[in-house]
Amino acid sequence: MEDITLKIDGVNVTCPPGTSILDAAKAVGIKIPSLCSHPELTPIGACRLCLVEEASSGRVFASCVTPVAPEMVIVTDSDRVQRHRRNIVRLMMAEHPESCLVCSKGNRCELREIAAELGVGENKLYPMPNVKNFEQVNPFIVRDLAKCVLCGRCIRVDHELVVVGAIDYNLRGFECRPATLHDLPLEDSSCTFCGSCVSVCPTGALSTKTPEFVGTPEKESISICGFCGTGCSLMMGSVGEHVVEVNPSRISGSVNGATLCVRGHYGHDYLHSKVRLGSPLLRTGEEWKEITWDDALELAATKLREIKENYGPASLAFLGSSKCTNEENYLFQKMARVVLGTNNIDSGGYINGRLAVQAVWKRLGNTLFRKPLSTIGEADAILVLGADPTQSTPVAGYYIKRAAKNGLPLIEINPRKTGLSFLSSVRLEIKPNGDLAALAAILKYLVEKGWVDQGFISQSTSGFEPFSAKLLALDFGLLYKNAGIDARGIKQVCDLIKGKRISIVVGSGVLRQRIAVSIMNSIVDLALITGSMGERGGIYILAKDCNEMGAWDMGSAPDFLPGTVPVFDAQGRRRFERLWKAKLSPDPGLDVVRIIEEADKGRLKGLYIMGENPLRSLPDKELIKKGFEKLEFLIVQDILENETTQMAHLILPGAAAAEKEGSFTNMEGKIQSFEPVVAPPSGAMPDWDILDRLMALLGQPRRLGSISRIRREISQVVPGYGSLADGIGGWAGTGEVRGSVGPEAETIRIPFSEEILIGARPEDGSYPMWVVLGTSSFQMGCGTRIAKSRRITEYCPEGFAEVSVQDCDRLGLKHGDKIIIESKAGSVMKSVRVSTDQPEGVIFLPWGFDDNNATLLLGLAQFGGPNFEGWNSCRANIHKA
Amino acid sequence: MGKKTIDWERLGSIIEERKKEKWGLIPLLQEVQEEFGYIPPEGIKPIAEALGLYPSQVQGVITFYAGFALEPKGKYVIRVCRGTACHVKGGRSIFRYLKRELGLEEGQTSEDYRFTLETVACLGACFLAPTMMINRTYYGKLSPPKVSSVLAQYGKERMEDK
Repeated sequence: MEDITLKIDGVNVTCPPGTSILDAAKAVGIKIPSLCSHPELTPIGACRLCLVEEASSGRVFASCVTPVAPEMVIVTDSDRVQRHRRNIVRLMMAEHPESCLVCSKGNRCELREIAAELGVGENKLYPMPNVKNFEQVNPFIVRDLAKCVLCGRCIRVDHELVVVGAIDYNLRGFECRPATLHDLPLEDSSCTFCGSCVSVCPTGALSTKTPEFVGTPEKESISICGFCGTGCSLMMGSVGEHVVEVNPSRISGSVNGATLCVRGHYGHDYLHSKVRLGSPLLRTGEEWKEITWDDALELAATKLREIKENYGPASLAFLGSSKCTNEENYLFQKMARVVLGTNNIDSGGYINGRLAVQAVWKRLGNTLFRKPLSTIGEADAILVLGADPTQSTPVAGYYIKRAAKNGLPLIEINPRKTGLSFLSSVRLEIKPNGDLAALAAILKYLVEKGWVDQGFISQSTSGFEPFSAKLLALDFGLLYKNAGIDARGIKQVCDLIKGKRISIVVGSGVLRQRIAVSIMNSIVDLALITGSMGERGGIYILAKDCNEMGAWDMGSAPDFLPGTVPVFDAQGRRRFERLWKAKLSPDPGLDVVRIIEEADKGRLKGLYIMGENPLRSLPDKELIKKGFEKLEFLIVQDILENETTQMAHLILPGAAAAEKEGSFTNMEGKIQSFEPVVAPPSGAMPDWDILDRLMALLGQPRRLGSISRIRREISQVVPGYGSLADGIGGWAGTGEVRGSVGPEAETIRIPFSEEILIGARPEDGSYPMWVVLGTSSFQMGCGTRIAKSRRITEYCPEGFAEVSVQDCDRLGLKHGDKIIIESKAGSVMKSVRVSTDQPEGVIFLPWGFDDNNATLLLGLAQFGGPNFEGWNSCRANIHKA
Repeated sequence: MGKKTIDWERLGSIIEERKKEKWGLIPLLQEVQEEFGYIPPEGIKPIAEALGLYPSQVQGVITFYAGFALEPKGKYVIRVCRGTACHVKGGRSIFRYLKRELGLEEGQTSEDYRFTLETVACLGACFLAPTMMINRTYYGKLSPPKVSSVLAQYGKERMEDK
């Protein structure tokens, strides 16, 4: 259809049909006041403040819900319109409580702003405040619905963007207010406390609860959330050096838009925890002594040099962090590789399934397959495996829920129900760890029926013939048995994905599994036979940590260099040797688990940990402790006192993301840089600065001295990070179109798997139950940071175990009872939550709570090795405590 | 007769019947209201689930319309007219008299779930003022003795029921 031209306030505006008058006016810089409209929400014309007049007919209408028409002549501020607007505001104010003085919305109140613009002061109406309940029991949201103007933004954010549906208008007339089901308090409703409603509320009806009255922020700065791998853009409000409020930033193109999750919104109060580290500390025996930075860095340099000289570079190891910035991880691995000559470097992403992710890189290339989350909904169907994104990476979960709500078929393969299940078209309730067999059954069914994308297969893949022959030789009966499903489920799934391109979303339920690498290979095979590559469809890996992807891209791993160039790749290595003017070892170094084993054997002498807390995040704490005790020198650089800093010889206090410059690369492969919002605690230092100084002391010719110099070096050295040079960031990649693996990339032929595993395993009768480990939205990773958040711990102070109704009946358990869960590795006590989300025999245990003691049930073994049992689940036995 | 028990089977079959209709929510609620005399709050979740709506949305529709109730109403719903004509003809005293006779305030339901007393803005039968309506039957030109005899009719029926 042709564009429409109309006149607004004498200005000619041309816009596509269907545009609202409000948007058309905005496009030419004409501001029309409004309370209910929001760029990301469906317009509903509730507040009537955006009234405009059509000059020829004299009609007055709400511009947000009126589409443009040809030849329209609109006046946005005629006397008549102004009079109407003023009257509406007067009526709103007559109903509004006069508590502006103590309202936390303060000068950011949009009602107040509009009243001031329209010159409405005294409204000369009889005040009739509409008194409503004041709700402030939960530690996150204060609801003072007397201040509600019924704009419905909170309701639309909840329904359209977050897709939870906890609130809607209730009652009508003066009684009408947004309410939960049965008008219960938020904590008794389906509210997830994402706080997105608070951020869009124009008045003080919804506000963030702060432990003490801190006033409105003096300053607002944009930052990136340092919790999960979604990489949400934040607007952090601060008073002095204190972060008092967090909201989604209003910059366009951010991954989160107007939404956040409970962690991002309310968990950042950990920044002001009492156990923040504020000075370098040296341990002698049991005593801790504050020392100066000069002494601390001098000591660190001396020790590292000594150990290298006395025992060789292989006796040193470095543990970098998937929570630290790209710049820091780059420097850290460079310190290990170039300055100290060892590939013994890894990062926390190891336990989140680095090897499983690498398996995908090996076949599809590292950066090419990463795509923006906004493209999930562009496929014809979505398949989610081993993930509850509504808990682990909520904002990524919103994308899936929105697509499913709009009618895209959603298939879930998961042993238990998730926050997506109410929208799923088919749910395959597999046995824990039945993913591989389920995938094999789906592949076999599709191949047998011939429901494959022949065009894509012949053009862009290789090895399909032997692959399909092997599939056809498999026995359905065995696959169904291993997956714990029946033929009907597989048929339903295949009927649904027949001829479709799929977005395959993979979470840590798969990535941390014993056979994660094989599953990821099957997932790639599924993507290949359905042609789910390129423009529509693809594989989306839900990264758990804010810079998991970036840390890998920077080479925080023992077997690859920055840009994920394998250390054994002679050509790639020579390039780095030339750039760094140093000799690099072609042998892979130690991964996290090997570091601990080598420490325990006494072969590792020095360890430098930056921003990781292995004593909380990893299983087998006794072994780790024993290993760390044998170290000659343990340096721990962190922001909070934690289990691992207790064991250090030297503690270097670093800075949190909100306190330093840097950049994170999110799960989409988007590089996002940020500036400090507040200063680090006095005595602490940005981590990159610590590393830069230390490297100079260790003999690097000169200090880089600033983030921009580090970025310049990264942009020259790391393939795919050229865009970091300008300090803004962009998409990690080498300039190719995102997700360009596919028919259009003719040179690439992706091989099918050479062998098909089906994950059969004898079951251990002495442990009849399954424990499935996963994420709760009120925890993050192992909980080092979020457990220091006052709000989060107040709301959810301790962990729990979700036990099925059937098991509860069988064992006589009720809500709140304590149970002991025993596995081969150890046991934990948890309180019971009776749940209908899992089948009989499956217990769900969230990570992070109670010092992350869920790890007691697991063993420590090299990922994918012969003794590795997986970190997503284990066999167990339960009894009442 | 105490707290009403819900006939889940009947509710389920109404939901099943209506869930295929587009815009089926209001017809569904009307049928439930008709059948049960109210919409059981416990029924909101299954209704929402069947129609692919949020429970809060269903509640919003129920509480918006005066025709839907979340609390059980009496077998006989008495609606007294508050319109201008009825007001002039003494409708207020009729309402007061009814309150005393039934021992109910506006909007209340008797403990035995026999009577619910409500007022409405106008019954549209001004020529009969003052008026009231019991379920679907109009009663006009009311006076206290007439109200008593009307109530007695419904009272008698109660005796017959037993």
